[in-house]
Amino acid sequence: MRKIEAKSICKKFDDLEVLKSIDMTVDEGEVVAIIGPSGGGKSTFLRCLNKLETINGGTIIIDGETLVSTDENGNVRYADNSSRIACRMGMVFQQFNLFPHMTVLENLMEAPVHVQKRNPAEVQKEAEALLEKVGLLDKRDQYPLRLSGGQQQRVAIARALCMKPDIMLFDEPTSSLDPELTGEVLKTMRNLAEDHMTMVVVTHEMGFAREVATKVLFMADGYIQEQGSPEEIFGNPKNERLKSFLKSILK
Amino acid sequence: MDYIISIIPQMLMGTVDTLRLFFITIVLAIPLGIFLAFCRVSSFKLLRDVVAAYVYVLRGTPLMLQLLFVYFGLPFIPVIGVRLDDFPAAVLAFVLNYGAYFCEIFRAGLQAIPKGQFEAAKTLGMNYAQTMRRIILPQVFKIILPPVSNETITLVKDTSLIYVLAMNDLLRTTRNLVQRDFNIMPFVVAAVFYLVMSMILTYGFNKLEKHFARWD
Repeated sequence: MRKIEAKSICKKFDDLEVLKSIDMTVDEGEVVAIIGPSGGGKSTFLRCLNKLETINGGTIIIDGETLVSTDENGNVRYADNSSRIACRMGMVFQQFNLFPHMTVLENLMEAPVHVQKRNPAEVQKEAEALLEKVGLLDKRDQYPLRLSGGQQQRVAIARALCMKPDIMLFDEPTSSLDPELTGEVLKTMRNLAEDHMTMVVVTHEMGFAREVATKVLFMADGYIQEQGSPEEIFGNPKNERLKSFLKSILK
Repeated sequence: MDYIISIIPQMLMGTVDTLRLFFITIVLAIPLGIFLAFCRVSSFKLLRDVVAAYVYVLRGTPLMLQLLFVYFGLPFIPVIGVRLDDFPAAVLAFVLNYGAYFCEIFRAGLQAIPKGQFEAAKTLGMNYAQTMRRIILPQVFKIILPPVSNETITLVKDTSLIYVLAMNDLLRTTRNLVQRDFNIMPFVVAAVFYLVMSMILTYGFNKLEKHFARWD
């Protein structure tokens, strides 16, 4: 089943065209890795999917519901319930963005209880199960700033999962972590992929893209230059831009 | 010593006026400041500019001048032309003035919150009011505690300006005693009174800062 469909997405910041025309589809259970040089529009594209950035043209359909569409005159129209559609996707940020004034458990329970209005006792049970899964149940009553970066990011993943999202978006989840802490976060993401979560991951971790992703997109200069299975992208790249990118990072 | 004990009742009476002005100003100026700060960061340009001009005028002129203007000047303004009693006039001038300062403190606090906090709240489906109340403001309060504490202690001392309106606050009572008795002891006692008030405030704010430091 189709989870995300993005058609001819354009995004400008003032006069700078960051996304020129992006098409992408994600099916249920797929893990899509988006790789490419910095400034190529990867993060911007991800942020367009859940409305953290508004687009200047194109169509985004999430789980069969139109989030935003563009008519033939170029008028972009967001659906009335676009915010509700957008928050069906969990988001994990490079900078974690945990709420520092709440304990780990409170971070997880905040939105399910106050936005989704679910029963606090049930939410707490689920939150604790999620913390167990990411290996941080013993930190439930700690404040986030007391934790290491890797632990904070695992809490952030658990917090997003606590909303029971259909899709998880990751925006360079390991880029602000020490090398020795990235492993624990990648392992958590790998477990998630094994549970058949639909995931879109912007990453510089080529090992992760190669081993976990079902599809890899190479984005540069506002376009998707090449896409395919990890074997095709890493084993047999065709696009010149991709070849030189891989060469420079695998050196 | 007997002299000091003999003047204390009168000085306490003066302190009551001082504290009355202090508390009423705090209770009204802080909400005013929060309201103005939200105007100052709103997306409505005219509102932003009006508040910026307000802050500029109220911070750019002496509080003493504002006090005199509200008390002696307002009656001469066409249309408004109200004559306020001395205490309401003092409250109005202090609230307007301190509201401007608190506005700038809250604005700085709001703008110090990383954008990521707003984005995280948004991706979790929180609306503007929920984001503000549950995520942003608790963090703002922690950030602004030191400048608010500073401003509050300044206010305790600024209340002495109402002496120009011939109100018998702590300072004016003190001066009357000095002139009546040809004794400078009341000045020393007044200093101790002000120091005690500042000490209590400092203690209170330190407690609050400790409370908010638990998540560092």
